[in-house]
Amino acid sequence: MARIEVKSEVTGTVWKIECKAGDAVDADADLMILESMKMEIPVMAPEAGTVADILVAESESVAEGQTIAIIET
Amino acid sequence: MAFEDLKREYTERQEKALAMGGEAKLAKRRNAGLLNARERIAYLLDKESFIESGLFGTSSVVPEDRDTTPGDGKIAGFGTIDGRHVAVVANDFTVKGASSSLTNMKKIGHVKLVATQRGMPLVFLGESSGARMPDNMGAKGMGSLLGNDPTQYIRSRETPWASAILGPCFGSSAWYACLSEFNVIRKGAVMAVASPQLASLAIGETVDPEELGGWQLHEEVTGLADLVTETDEEALDLVKTFLSYMPAHHNEAPPHRPVPSGSDDAARKVLDLLPESRTRVYDMRKILRALFDRDSLFELKPRFGRVAVTALARLGGRTVGVIANNPLVKGGALDVAACEKITRFIVMCDSFNIPLILFVDNPGFLVGKEGERQKAPGKIMNFMSALQLCTVPKISVIVRKTYGQAYLNMGGGRNSDEVAAWPTAEVSFMDPIYATHVVTWGRPERDDPAKFDSIVETMRKESGVWDIASIYAVQAVILPEDTREWLIRMLDVHELRLTGGVGKHLMSHWPTTY
Repeated sequence: MARIEVKSEVTGTVWKIECKAGDAVDADADLMILESMKMEIPVMAPEAGTVADILVAESESVAEGQTIAIIET
Repeated sequence: MAFEDLKREYTERQEKALAMGGEAKLAKRRNAGLLNARERIAYLLDKESFIESGLFGTSSVVPEDRDTTPGDGKIAGFGTIDGRHVAVVANDFTVKGASSSLTNMKKIGHVKLVATQRGMPLVFLGESSGARMPDNMGAKGMGSLLGNDPTQYIRSRETPWASAILGPCFGSSAWYACLSEFNVIRKGAVMAVASPQLASLAIGETVDPEELGGWQLHEEVTGLADLVTETDEEALDLVKTFLSYMPAHHNEAPPHRPVPSGSDDAARKVLDLLPESRTRVYDMRKILRALFDRDSLFELKPRFGRVAVTALARLGGRTVGVIANNPLVKGGALDVAACEKITRFIVMCDSFNIPLILFVDNPGFLVGKEGERQKAPGKIMNFMSALQLCTVPKISVIVRKTYGQAYLNMGGGRNSDEVAAWPTAEVSFMDPIYATHVVTWGRPERDDPAKFDSIVETMRKESGVWDIASIYAVQAVILPEDTREWLIRMLDVHELRLTGGVGKHLMSHWPTTY
């Protein structure tokens, strides 16, 4: 079992969180949607697994490189 | 001496040289699944086309090494790939770690000169421990071995160079990899200035070889590798694939290939790949694959500067260089890594007579502290200067948004020779919402939602495709399903007839790393 830190690729704002801790997700499933430069940018699960933790809330600012979710495979 | 004796001595010496570092070392590599230098050459080149240069070269610096340095550790020569003449240098790691010394550097110098003067691509198969010790030590070693050729590292882009990192590559094989147009790395191979052992000795840094110069570093962080493979054979296949897009030298157009059947099919349904909502992202590569000749999209550095796509492709059988914004990453906002990747790609395509096709959908250059720390304005200008210096045809298709300076960098404002816009195109200085914020600063409309929205709406309408078409700032508005045909026709129109397809190469001496 591995713990994967999912990092934000952009500096922006959390617009919509699409999952919660405990959910099973496929690879490339949308975990949340960020907003930056007026675009809706999905953050996708890098691998299939279970969402262990969502570390941010809607409307929160995030920085590029910040860990925003943890997936367990 | 009787001719028989001479012949026997010749055959003995030949066998000894061909045996490289000996069966024990060769067996070890075989068991590890690694090809040796001669196997790599045989795999790369057309069957039996290799003619060697310098088989009987040995160490000429250390007398005791003469009998233990067959080929002096680097194998050089000429052959053909897909029927076209090439020059090749392969490092023989079984001979003193393929370390560099006088004889083998002369070999490289010779095939490099011949390849350049006779118009042939050059392939470097890298696996070298760097400069040979003690040959290069001391003032005499340095004075006679290193620095004897003041043109050694000039990159004039007269013929395409391709490099494969197939083992530890320190020193000269790392330098030539960076100077090459194309560099593929096999997993487990390492490219760095010097070895982890030296890092440990010189600066007390204990570092894992992968961390110092492994495939992941070069694929994702440095961008010094174009592609990554699992095996030697796959790496050599990619070298051949890369060369198939390129001309043999800078004074000819790239080769034509037949158009695979079915190449027109997906292009008709390309609009299905674009989301209806203008704020939703999508993977631009799906659109590209639908529009170019079937299976011809050959993406370089797919995991570096991912906001941009840089790929060789074919359109109607002709090689083109594709530069595209990918909204899937950062909404398509161009960051510094994307600028670096694009700049290098422009220089390569322009130097080898490859027309550029730009697919545009970006909300502008990415703003913020991170980019500024990486010299964003300077990188944007490198990219801009490169585009403006091109003398190959440049053709842009505006798919959706294009804002601000990025509008210019992607071919707007007459920076491309032809620009077509899809009906979904939106050209503006910045997003209408930000613009409305700016123009209503300190004014009552800022706090009146209805008035604010009305200003946004007007700005949005005025960014639409019909306004830009009416002033002929785009030369065509095209339906998405007509894009492939329009591009093929524009390539025909813009063919460099006056020079047989050859550009002026104003960037041929530009740097190789950005």
